[in-house]
Amino acid sequence: MDFQKSQQSNTAADSIGEILYPLALLMDELKHDDVSNRVQAMQRLDTIAIALGPERARNELLPFLFEVAHDDEDEVFAVLAQQLNGSFIPFIGGEEYATFLLPTLEFLSAIEEPVVRDKAIASLNDIADHLSLTQLNNEFLIVINNLATADWFSSRVSSCGLFKSVISRVDINTRKELLYLYLKLIKDDTPMVRRAAATQLPSIITSLEELELNSEKHLDSDKYASTEPSNNNDWSLLFQTFKSLVNDDQDSVKFLSVDVMIAIIKLFNAVRNDKSHNDQLLEDFLKLANDQSWRVRYMISEKFSSIVEYFNKSDLNDKILNKFIALLKDHEAEVRKSISKQIPDFSKLIEQKNVIDKIIPQAEELITDQNELVRSALASKIAGLAPILGEKPTSEYLLNIFLEMLNDEFPEVRLNIISNLTTVNNVIGINLLSKALLPAITELAKDKQWRVRLAIIEYIPLLSKQLGIEFFNKVLSGLCMSWLWDSVYTIREAAVLNLKRLAEVFGDKWAKEEIIDKILNNEILNDYKKENPDLFPDLAGNGDLTNNEDSEIIDGSNIENVNNSIMNNFIYRITCLFSLISLVDVVEDDSIITNEILSYLNRLSNDSVPNIKFNVAKGYKKVAFRLLKLEKEESDTPEENVSNEEEDELLEVKALKDDKYITKLTSEEEKAKVYSVINEKILPFLANLSEDKDIDVQFFAKKSTNEIQVGLDKVGISS
Amino acid sequence: MDMDGDIPMEEVSESRLDPSLEDDEHADHNPNYSFSQPFEPKEGPIPALPKSSVNQLDQWIEQLSNCQPLSEENVGNLCKMAQDVLQFEANVQPVNVPVTICGDVHGQFHDLMELFKIGGPCPDTNYLFMGDYVDRGYYSVETVSYLVAMKIRYPNRITILRGNHESRQITQVYGFYDECLRKYGSATVWKLFTDLFDYFPITALVDNRIFCLHGGLSPMIESIDQVKDLNRIQEVPHEGPMCDLLWSDPDDRGGWGISPRGAGFTFGQDISEQFNRTNDLSLVARAHQLVMEGYSWSHQELVVTIFSAPNYCYRCGNQAAIMEVDEQHNRQFLQYDPSVRPGEPTVTRKTPDYFL
Repeated sequence: MDFQKSQQSNTAADSIGEILYPLALLMDELKHDDVSNRVQAMQRLDTIAIALGPERARNELLPFLFEVAHDDEDEVFAVLAQQLNGSFIPFIGGEEYATFLLPTLEFLSAIEEPVVRDKAIASLNDIADHLSLTQLNNEFLIVINNLATADWFSSRVSSCGLFKSVISRVDINTRKELLYLYLKLIKDDTPMVRRAAATQLPSIITSLEELELNSEKHLDSDKYASTEPSNNNDWSLLFQTFKSLVNDDQDSVKFLSVDVMIAIIKLFNAVRNDKSHNDQLLEDFLKLANDQSWRVRYMISEKFSSIVEYFNKSDLNDKILNKFIALLKDHEAEVRKSISKQIPDFSKLIEQKNVIDKIIPQAEELITDQNELVRSALASKIAGLAPILGEKPTSEYLLNIFLEMLNDEFPEVRLNIISNLTTVNNVIGINLLSKALLPAITELAKDKQWRVRLAIIEYIPLLSKQLGIEFFNKVLSGLCMSWLWDSVYTIREAAVLNLKRLAEVFGDKWAKEEIIDKILNNEILNDYKKENPDLFPDLAGNGDLTNNEDSEIIDGSNIENVNNSIMNNFIYRITCLFSLISLVDVVEDDSIITNEILSYLNRLSNDSVPNIKFNVAKGYKKVAFRLLKLEKEESDTPEENVSNEEEDELLEVKALKDDKYITKLTSEEEKAKVYSVINEKILPFLANLSEDKDIDVQFFAKKSTNEIQVGLDKVGISS
Repeated sequence: MDMDGDIPMEEVSESRLDPSLEDDEHADHNPNYSFSQPFEPKEGPIPALPKSSVNQLDQWIEQLSNCQPLSEENVGNLCKMAQDVLQFEANVQPVNVPVTICGDVHGQFHDLMELFKIGGPCPDTNYLFMGDYVDRGYYSVETVSYLVAMKIRYPNRITILRGNHESRQITQVYGFYDECLRKYGSATVWKLFTDLFDYFPITALVDNRIFCLHGGLSPMIESIDQVKDLNRIQEVPHEGPMCDLLWSDPDDRGGWGISPRGAGFTFGQDISEQFNRTNDLSLVARAHQLVMEGYSWSHQELVVTIFSAPNYCYRCGNQAAIMEVDEQHNRQFLQYDPSVRPGEPTVTRKTPDYFL
């Protein structure tokens, strides 16, 4: 079998072969019939090179690889191109020999497969950083030149990627020559070459920008020819390049000029503080924004705010604003989608009057856009206007937009509005917001999409805090309880967490009366009875609560059956269990925990379902630690008596032992009391569970017992 | 609805098969369907894992839940541990209620994570998967590694049956083989998993009432006890009872019919009625076919199809579903859509690159 064969040869290579015949072995493997073997062999190139030593690596391995690069498959080439990067240089004798790698990589850069070329270009750029100025001028520039003037387009495409690593290092004259060469590439006959040149142009501008920003770094005369920043000559060449791009007849090339424009605007305005080119750039910008091709307009829309931020105020509030509005009305949905995401960022740049008079009316138009993705994009960003507008205009103009979008038929639109309400909240205050939005929120709490319901639940604790306990019990309480019986687990989980947060807000008394007592007496079902079945959208809408043939059909008129069926339902019991366990963290009164919560745990400890039992076991640990008032102390030094004796130990238990805990139990009397609770109401039950016939119940019971023992040790109680 | 695009089994060209299969002991199919040497599961209970294995598995599960594949070496260890566990499982593996029953996943890892968000995490919820974890989706390796790791860690909480795609031949055509090659550089991991697939149980019986399997019924199996007489530790055969259980589909026409898939049969309502009566079943639950709502009844609710890969192949636009069965045998179907993955481009009209 193939893989066995390769394993055998690997082991051989690991022993004597490594020293004696590495190259012969590599050659053998590289002639293997199976391409995956050849790929594997190539991946071990560094090992071979080390075994050969620098001199033989240079004189034997590299020529051999050059041969390989002429005759194999792309998978092998890709690995070869990747291997010959800067980190290979030490294996061939250090930086002075780095140029030995260039011929093979130059060849690979000309190959038709883009994956190989990209890897070869990345390696070449990596090597360029290691080259001295002489090596760069004498050999690397020749590689660029060869590739850039080659007949076949793939070489020319590759050459575009190499300019960025040399352009800031060469002297002024060479730089000029290189830019000339680049201008040729950007006017190339083949669109693929023009696209590559356009894609790489921003990185060339960035590397010129770096030259201006930190010229000290460029003082290293071994690596840099001149510290002189780009001059007007360079820029007239670069502007010609840009101009040629903007006027390209292929929209797939033209739309790449948007990124080039951003690089140029940023360099002149942010770095040089030179606004002399802005008029020309604005003209080009408006031209692109007017382009016939939607892809070009789409690119402009995507980057709108980051381009226009450097233009002056009067243009922004006039020409540019008009263009913005025109794009919001664009007939292509993709353009409307991307430009509507720019609304807040662009509104920051213009006068508030214009936001209210021009942009908001257009945004209102988009609420009823026929394309749902446009509406969704608008919904995801529109809340960002609130801080810009301030309190009064927000409630006057924006609230309406929110309300309408909350009723959108597309769930993502509703979700996007809800998840951004906090921003609005900070501006107009929760009272105003809740008054306006509460009806919509309660409606959405029953939404068919569970992610919409989830977004609403996460919003509830904040809302409740502001509205107060009475209002909550009247309006939201039923809703919060109904989520506990949602058919989707994630909603039930969020509902449990929500109860915990509410208990934090409303305190022990509320938690006991409204949650704990109701769960213990199964009274929570009363709420269930009152509520309509349509509170369970998945259940009522598309799921069927189908019974098998021998039990009665569930409907609203047969409440007793609902009770029994729900009571015997595993999901009901485990959700009650999760709710109570989560309250352990927030309830302050110990007696609630030792009486109510612990008694429920004990009741469920002989449940028929193992899943319940091992969650009870997990719950005991949490209760015990809460009663022992153990709190983890942030500390870098581990506990002194680190447990080394027992090798075979659960990582979690070991971590617990190693972490530092302090207890807030002070008196011995308190400790004794807690110990008696643990000893009477927890440990015997855990001992029972440890004998359970299910291995998971056993596992978690033993683990909790173990952890509680560690906890007792930390407090200084010995059993 | 027969929308599963599996090409008929005959078209799986022999020439594409790995040469290593030729001398593989499992590859030569026994023409008398191995009734003579039934698979005997090891006597339980499954022993508890040593703590070091628990630590190791918990770490793997954590890694896999972030969609990070295990190293080749660890896949080897995983498969070895899994074989130890699966040896205890019978051809008709008994499963207790409550349990959540799921259908095809097909390497759609993120949708599998969505499934756990809907049904609840394992081990808190018990799961029964009815096969087809690999092929088609982009993350077959991660999906099957995750499920197998869960199986070892919590053998009583999750049951994983074999589907027709858990096979050496099918995985070489529909993506799992190529994915292993791409992610590991060799076929070793593919070999490890396909060897392990032979140990997966082929059917399960939920509380003696719901018979679960990937495909459907077989004309050679009248009673469930006959399934126990099969030798399942082999590559999925081209014909015979084991093949049928993994390949058959229910049909509107009565009786047995020739399957357009080239393997297995179609079976009508009369067959399902007879089978359920003989074996005192309330339901046959199976997967294997794409159904647009995620689940679909056949044969007047004697047979249900469950399909748990939403937007199958990332383009079918179907919903997925799982079936919760509670202690009173109440059934609830939960439907769900593909997972939301933030940061993915949502451009609806992207000109493909090859036009430029």
